[in-house]
Amino acid sequence: MSDASIAIGIGEAAAERENRWGLGRLLRELLRNKAALLGLVILVTIAAAAILARLVAPYDPLFQEVTQRLKPPGWTTPEGRISLLGTDHLGRDILSRLIFGARISLIIGLSAVAMAGTLGTLIGLVAGYRGGRIDDLCMRLTDTMLAMPFILLALAVIAVLGPSLRNIILVLGITSWVSYARVVRAEVLSLRTREFVSAAKALGGGGSRIVFRHLLPNVLTPVIVIATLEVARMIILESALSFLGLGVQPPTPTWGGMLADGRAYMTTSWWLATFPGLAIMLTVLGINLLGDWLRDVLDPRLQL
Amino acid sequence: MFCFWWSLECGLSNWVRDGTMTRYLIRRFWQSVLVLFGISIIIFIILHLTGDPAVLLMPPDATQEDIDNFRKLMGFNDPLFVRWPPWEYLSPPWRFLTDTQYGRFFTGVVRGDFGNSFRHQQPALGLVMERMPATIELTMAAMAIAVSVAVPVGILSAVRRNTALDHAGMVLALLGQSMPVYWLGIMFILLFAVQWNLLPAFGAGSWKHLVLPAVTLGAFSMARIARLTRSSMLEVLGQEYVRTARAKGLSEVRLVLKHALKNAAIPVITVIGLDMGTLLGGAVITETIFAWPGVGRLAVQAISYRDYPLVQAAVFTLALIFVLINFLVDILYTYVDPRVAYK
Amino acid sequence: MRKWTAWIWMAALVLALAPAAWAAPSGKVTVAQGVDPTTLDPQDHEETPAFNVLLNIYDTLLVRDKNLKITPWLATSYKLINPTTWEFKLRQGVKFTNGEEFDAEVAKFSLERMANKALNLRMTALRVISRVEVKDKYTIHIITEKPFPTLDAHLTLRGAMVPPKYFKEHDKAFLARNPVGTGPFKFVRWVKDDRIEFEANEQWWHGAPKIKTLIFRPIPEETTRMSALQTGEVDIATNVPPHLVKEIKNHPKVTVSSAPSVRTIFIPLYNVQCEMIQGSYDCTKPYPGPTAKAKVRQAINYAVDVDSIIKNVLEGQGIRTATPLTSNHFGYDPKLKPFPYDPARAKKLLAEAGYPNGISLMLHSPNGRYPKDKEVAEAVAGQLTQAGIKTELKVYEWTTYMNNVAYRHGGGPMWLIGWGNTAWDADYTYTPMFRTGQVLANYWNPEFNSLLEDGQTTMDPKKRLQLYAKAGRFFLDDPPAISLYQQIDNYGVSRKLNWTARPDERIEGFSISLKP
Repeated sequence: MSDASIAIGIGEAAAERENRWGLGRLLRELLRNKAALLGLVILVTIAAAAILARLVAPYDPLFQEVTQRLKPPGWTTPEGRISLLGTDHLGRDILSRLIFGARISLIIGLSAVAMAGTLGTLIGLVAGYRGGRIDDLCMRLTDTMLAMPFILLALAVIAVLGPSLRNIILVLGITSWVSYARVVRAEVLSLRTREFVSAAKALGGGGSRIVFRHLLPNVLTPVIVIATLEVARMIILESALSFLGLGVQPPTPTWGGMLADGRAYMTTSWWLATFPGLAIMLTVLGINLLGDWLRDVLDPRLQL
Repeated sequence: MFCFWWSLECGLSNWVRDGTMTRYLIRRFWQSVLVLFGISIIIFIILHLTGDPAVLLMPPDATQEDIDNFRKLMGFNDPLFVRWPPWEYLSPPWRFLTDTQYGRFFTGVVRGDFGNSFRHQQPALGLVMERMPATIELTMAAMAIAVSVAVPVGILSAVRRNTALDHAGMVLALLGQSMPVYWLGIMFILLFAVQWNLLPAFGAGSWKHLVLPAVTLGAFSMARIARLTRSSMLEVLGQEYVRTARAKGLSEVRLVLKHALKNAAIPVITVIGLDMGTLLGGAVITETIFAWPGVGRLAVQAISYRDYPLVQAAVFTLALIFVLINFLVDILYTYVDPRVAYK
Repeated sequence: MRKWTAWIWMAALVLALAPAAWAAPSGKVTVAQGVDPTTLDPQDHEETPAFNVLLNIYDTLLVRDKNLKITPWLATSYKLINPTTWEFKLRQGVKFTNGEEFDAEVAKFSLERMANKALNLRMTALRVISRVEVKDKYTIHIITEKPFPTLDAHLTLRGAMVPPKYFKEHDKAFLARNPVGTGPFKFVRWVKDDRIEFEANEQWWHGAPKIKTLIFRPIPEETTRMSALQTGEVDIATNVPPHLVKEIKNHPKVTVSSAPSVRTIFIPLYNVQCEMIQGSYDCTKPYPGPTAKAKVRQAINYAVDVDSIIKNVLEGQGIRTATPLTSNHFGYDPKLKPFPYDPARAKKLLAEAGYPNGISLMLHSPNGRYPKDKEVAEAVAGQLTQAGIKTELKVYEWTTYMNNVAYRHGGGPMWLIGWGNTAWDADYTYTPMFRTGQVLANYWNPEFNSLLEDGQTTMDPKKRLQLYAKAGRFFLDDPPAISLYQQIDNYGVSRKLNWTARPDERIEGFSISLKP
């Protein structure tokens, strides 16, 4: 479809790009752009909360006290527990669950993206470099993947394998590789004819050597941009799966799961759903701000 | 330089005459058919991974004998694709088509028959077709709303870059992309239906019933298209030829609408095509929340009940529509950007 | 002069309209359930939504009144002639909405259709009928293969009378979408997943219904269903969640009508593990885990604070039960009291059984099938863990649950289930759930099994009550389950309607009327 036009566009930008790689220059650009800085700050805060969860969370996210359920934010239990964001339908502290939930959401987002990114990059590299029949096969595979409605595929797979953290990452990873593959393939197509590839070939380098030493580093740039934005999408998809009952098992807290559980209480106890929703929104906002800036700096031709 | 689809200088008529485009389209057609069957095989394998639904389709007090008889009746004991030793199925070769479950499915589909839904005891394709208009209506409406709001917003943001209007538009777009669909849907129902009593809470019917579900479904795409339009426009507006045209004295509006837009449209069209697929599949959640009688809901129930014929019919039909839409996008593409090379 | 004529005209108008307004059915009522039925063939399903919808089109031979007593319906009387023969006298002057007349031949056709294995209908409870003999135009004899004491109970729900000519003229697929019966309403149309529309049958033998149009609409998402109730788009909504009951009761336009449900929620415990051997299940090996011991299962029962769960998780919308039977079920023993909450005693029992340091178990639960099912399971798991029985919870989507956990003996050692026994007889709960060899059972106790067998073949009700009282005691001594509670069905009802909820989940269109 748009492969050729992307190829042309990227080719033109590739030349410009080679000037921008310096890390120092990158950091200076970042500090200048307030939006991206905000995004970075948000993400760092959330990542810190996730990593330091055990230290930061006030209470055990799994501790139930059914008599203290559905209490509003700021509530103090008879034993002296203060729930800053209220308690959920089983009396668990929402703030603690939110903090631990950050962990799971980030794990899912990053792992799924890693899996999909690796898979997609490999397929894109092979398709772009080898061309011909293999390329055709890969493109048809891509089309097949795109034509299948994600939710139905996820539902079918999880219905068969059972819902668990591992299976969710598996499903998300296996269904999201297409964007990476397309972009990588387009890049490779344009790079394939460049001088340094012919030079490497002349020097006697084998196929895989060329792919990994020369093509891969150049291809990584757009992949990183896409990967960043995809993490946001993974987090939102996880919440969609939780809505359908296919998410991570209780009592493990995930933002999507908390949102899905809390939706029934929106009119009576709004805090159950609102805080996880805000957490998701903020994280995705941060990712998008940072990702947009990355794209503008590294590869403005990349249209998603 | 670019040339526009209606102009003869593109040599469009040449392409039609020498059949390059025809050959391209025919190749794409056959590839699409292959894609569809690939999908059906994948779904087939996944569904059969945990055994058959005989137990699910019988009432809870059925005996083992009842269940076994049912299995035999439905042909669940036959092999999926091939049995060992495989040469038994090579002579006569048509045994693959009659004695394996996939073989039977294949011969049926070629005739347009997906079999009877296990749970509803009605032809599966018929059930899907009944619901398809509702899903298509919802998807089209969602896309129409998304595009008609997103494109103007994107253009305005690009033209009035870095003003308050630009920032406001992009912030809204960011928000639209970061809210899970079902949350949006439920909030809309609580606000517009229960609190303010402006629109109905559920179901299909008048245009009023279409508003909330379509906006909910289209929100994500709306946000994406707005941002994409903006960046695409910005890029085109920075091009040489645009600066030249501006220097020549062309009015701003004419510039934006006639020249810039045509070229900025390319990636937007791609995304619209891709998003249609997402919308068709993603309608599942929206349909469940708003009790919209579409294919998505049907497919989810079918998967839960391992109602194979119905799942196959639903996925096949949805994929078919997606493939058709992208086919059309391809054709549209060749007009808008004649630089696309046919391999 | 003019004023006079005006008054006369008005009076005439009122007089002309009044009888019509008073007698003819009028008004439209919309009922929202959670799911759409899969078929409108009254003999080819076992789903509550289908029962609810179809009882308005088809009549059965018997029915239960609002006190759950079996009353004549299309049959005027019945008696047992010998243990395998029942005589039914049928009502005269009843017609189907397509003109066919109801008589003994119709009853014979309808019942034998249900008993016919070759048709593979999903309603299998009446397959025990071997044949029906027509004695005269309005008398039949039903002959069963073996003594079947619950035949009349089943006939209040199953065995709808269908028009033979119409059913013979069309195939199964057509009949599933175009029902024709003797009931209070006529079928108008069915737009799948959207609505099922009925119109009053003014010639109904029991009198014309008071409302003209009855519509059933499926709204799966709970929040949407409650919203639709509040906006007035539906008049009756099923399954109001416990935490919204107060809010809806005090709403200006709607209120809540409650009834103790037929359904009880309990957690069966495994004491045997069934294994698939040569195509069928063998259930003789003891469960490879602590629950094989009776003391452990008793400890589990002591460790759960059911009253707290009912009060807090269900906000009071539940009734504590000692066994999976409700007080309305035949075979219920009011003298049987449930386990008290005693975690100390639980720990002691565990130590006695050889587990002084506690044990580790798994609990399986569906999600969203029963009100607050997942929350209840979470609460139970939490309570058990706090008492030294570390419990890991696994939650499933409903049909995966049935397929992998329920029907494949894959729910060990604890799995949550709800059972709505509308035959109102203990046999239809105890046997399918706990009799070794049944597809849902994972319990083995030879004495319990023989009590159930006797109960199935004894025709004397007094003797059966004794048998089931004895069987009930096992829930204390050698518990096959943790009995939790009986649900309370909460229906959201528009204040414009006169309708009260029934304890058997039936929504009878002919008893709904609009307030003037």
